[in-house]
Amino acid sequence: MGRQVAIVSAGFSEHASKRSDVNIAELVSEAVEDCLKKAPSVSFEDIDAFATGNMPGFEGSNLPELWMADWMGARNKPLMRVTTGGTTGGSVGIAGYYTVTAGLPGIDTVLAIAFEQQSQGDTSVGLANVAYGEVSLLNYLGLTYDQVGRLLSAGAAIGVAAYQATNYMHKTKIVEEDLARVVVQNRRNAAKTWWAHLKMPNLTIEQVLDTPYISFPLRYGMVCPASDGACAVLFTTEEKAKNMCDIPVYVNGVASVAHETAILGYSASGSAQIDPSEQLGAMKTSEICYQQAGISFPRKEIDYAEVYSPFPNQELMWVEKLGLFEETTAPEMYKNGVTALNGELPICCSGGVNSTNAIGASALERPAVAALQIMGKASNQVPKTVHTAIGHGWGGSLNLCTMMVMSDEPQRKWR
Amino acid sequence: MDKVGIVGFYQVKLYSDANYGRYEMIFEAVRGAIDSAGLKKKDITTAISCTNDYYDGRTISNCYTVEVGGGYMADESKVEMDGAHAVLYGLMRILSGNHKLSLVWGGSMASCFPYHAARLYETDPTWERPVAYVNDITAAGFQMRAYLEKYGVSIEDIAKIAVKNRKNASRNPLALQEAQNANITVKDVLDSEIYADPVTELMVAQPCDGVAALLLAPEKQALKITDNPVWITGVGYNQETYYLGDRDLTKSMSMELAGKMAFDAAGIKDPKKEIDLAEFFEAYAHEEVIFSEALGLVDMGEGTNLNSEIDGDIPINPSGGAIGGNPPCGTGLIRIIEAAKQLKGEADGYQVKDAKKAIASGQIGMCAQNNIVYILEGGN
Amino acid sequence: MTEKLVVTNKGFVRADFSFWVGLYMDKFYDSFENKKIIGNKCSKCGKVFVPPRKKCGKCNETIPLDNNWVNLPNTGTLLNYTITHYKVSDRAARKAKKPQIIGMVQIDGSDTAIVYRLLNIDIENVKIGMKLKIEWEEKPKGNPADIKGFVQV
Repeated sequence: MGRQVAIVSAGFSEHASKRSDVNIAELVSEAVEDCLKKAPSVSFEDIDAFATGNMPGFEGSNLPELWMADWMGARNKPLMRVTTGGTTGGSVGIAGYYTVTAGLPGIDTVLAIAFEQQSQGDTSVGLANVAYGEVSLLNYLGLTYDQVGRLLSAGAAIGVAAYQATNYMHKTKIVEEDLARVVVQNRRNAAKTWWAHLKMPNLTIEQVLDTPYISFPLRYGMVCPASDGACAVLFTTEEKAKNMCDIPVYVNGVASVAHETAILGYSASGSAQIDPSEQLGAMKTSEICYQQAGISFPRKEIDYAEVYSPFPNQELMWVEKLGLFEETTAPEMYKNGVTALNGELPICCSGGVNSTNAIGASALERPAVAALQIMGKASNQVPKTVHTAIGHGWGGSLNLCTMMVMSDEPQRKWR
Repeated sequence: MDKVGIVGFYQVKLYSDANYGRYEMIFEAVRGAIDSAGLKKKDITTAISCTNDYYDGRTISNCYTVEVGGGYMADESKVEMDGAHAVLYGLMRILSGNHKLSLVWGGSMASCFPYHAARLYETDPTWERPVAYVNDITAAGFQMRAYLEKYGVSIEDIAKIAVKNRKNASRNPLALQEAQNANITVKDVLDSEIYADPVTELMVAQPCDGVAALLLAPEKQALKITDNPVWITGVGYNQETYYLGDRDLTKSMSMELAGKMAFDAAGIKDPKKEIDLAEFFEAYAHEEVIFSEALGLVDMGEGTNLNSEIDGDIPINPSGGAIGGNPPCGTGLIRIIEAAKQLKGEADGYQVKDAKKAIASGQIGMCAQNNIVYILEGGN
Repeated sequence: MTEKLVVTNKGFVRADFSFWVGLYMDKFYDSFENKKIIGNKCSKCGKVFVPPRKKCGKCNETIPLDNNWVNLPNTGTLLNYTITHYKVSDRAARKAKKPQIIGMVQIDGSDTAIVYRLLNIDIENVKIGMKLKIEWEEKPKGNPADIKGFVQV
């Protein structure tokens, strides 16, 4: 039966809109070096296997791990590549967890690496491609293939998120100011995270509301940047973890549940309309995770959360769907400072995806930061002691979700 | 490693230009696998898919396959390598104890995209890709010449492998029709069009359309689901360095290391004696020779002397192998299914006698840079 | 499955890619502009790499950016070759007008091999181990195409 898994280190490359000084391989090696630097007792010989991934369409490279093997230290080592769109990072983390827990002979320590160098390609075209391929859906929407340019706003992430945002706003009766508040909290937090992209220590709600709309209700100032960056997380067994770091972070629950695909609220077959702010998959994901981790009262038991929210409305939505707050109460919590650095349940103190979004890496950076918060080594460390934390990711066309529950105590669910 | 059971599988017939849609094909395979085990969709708690965004021509190629691929409201993920690597992830999920039944499917439609052009995207974009002298075809040309030169093997001996696999494929009803030829000769292979000398057209595993799926379960559950499961007792995977100029192309380092890991797991000391048959993903005929040497089924340089016919010493690719049809992302998975068929005694027309232990392999990359090996054991 | 109904959609999606070559390849291509080949050397195992790279995969050592550069000659040895009729580009694999000889050439003083065309050599005369030299473009631009190919010494 499966073994208890622990995270012993996490590393990042510096993130920026254009890391044109390095190629993808060198960018990845920065994250790997940072990860190993934080675990001085671990050398390349100690790493038994690799789990990697990115969004292949964005850099125009298929299976870049093949030529990057030497840069990652993966020569003559087992390697598995997992890609699932926006959730790629989360899926890579989960693959790292499974590689350790499976107990394959000779594999104890696994390095999970996720990366993205978006400045090399055209992310909007890449994302619009999510809708492009779907001929039957395009026909249903009355668009021919050469008119897909119209879907650029709809097919790419912002268009999809805008529908989600209006649905959520309708349910919660919030105003744009509530969205801007989330952004301000994130960007100010990002200013204290060394590897973050958009650092704005003095940002105000007025400044955010002063920027133009991209797609109502999302304004330019509310939307995540497109970043270049990489993240690496070191997973190992419970026994080995104790010698590799002071506070091992035990991975107690992982899941990635998908629900039906939908673009613009229509399911892929065109047969049903779906509320993109419902997120059945995310709810099931968190349910499985909490069950595995033995968490009965997430609102009380979770001390810290990193959710994947390129857009502020999503951050509000996810914390509710993942069971951290009651439905429709999240905006109030942001207002009252519950989610701030020194609050009761700090959220996204790294600045979150809203401030740094190297897409393939983003969903791995969430558990990575959450783990560092438990270790007490995060760049923007919360003052209170963090015992249990979650890292979350979403992707696909709003239908994929990943989540990892971590704690400083192992959950011996199998014994 | 605990043994894991293969409790159901299904492969669609391979076509060079299938006359039906991607989703129908995926559904047929997934539904077929679930039916073959006598289970229902709701029994699937985890689904692993294997597709490639470049082969599918779209970003996030797994997001629309959720429903047809059995992933709806299941713990799902996608491995973007070979189907055999996806089986590895499904296997890990069973070994973790988190799941009791895992569905794995993989495949693509090569008729929808220029396969060799898509493979060019795998090359180093900062060095080799702009001039495009290195691609999967020329890499195979280099590897075959390196092998022929080192061991003084004649090209006819390599062509014999292609002949054997194409003859075997003619007995396999699910193989690609274009690859099935019971009367093919060495001369036919050598006279076919030159891809990258010494590689000729009939030595290449032709990309085609197809999807396959299989179901995995832990020992206890597997015995409840079926009377006759096939056990995965060992697995190994490995990746070597990338640049062709850095590698010794006459052998497969990654296959050797992967084999070592798999044999250790399954407790196999002498593969030559213990292994009854092998199903390799040989993208080119010579790879079959290099793989059987790397795994110790035959001594180095002796690969072409091995009698690998269906009634030979160690039958290799009795189903026709990848030369019998190569749906990208599905080929390695089909090798596992074919090996499982042999162990269950269900390989009608190409059954190997007394098959107890088998090897199945998958690969990706130029000259099989990343390899994965399974040890399968049959019956109770 | 039985019906012959195919929906064809025409129309192009254009995505431009510009690959950052990185710190090490940048120096490498700079030297191309002067029709020179450089490699870099692993401090641990002493292997010389062409093209240069940040990591020695065998030793897992970082090769410093400022040191360890090695100037290499324009000559090399043919290690392996293949003759192909196919041209593979980003869009398609199509038949070339005449077969081209693609060679794997070890630049003298390096421990790896690079892959380029062999020019002005008849197919019958190609021999593994033959001495070759780089044929440069007249006006190099600092990219991989500056090397037109290799010719016999």
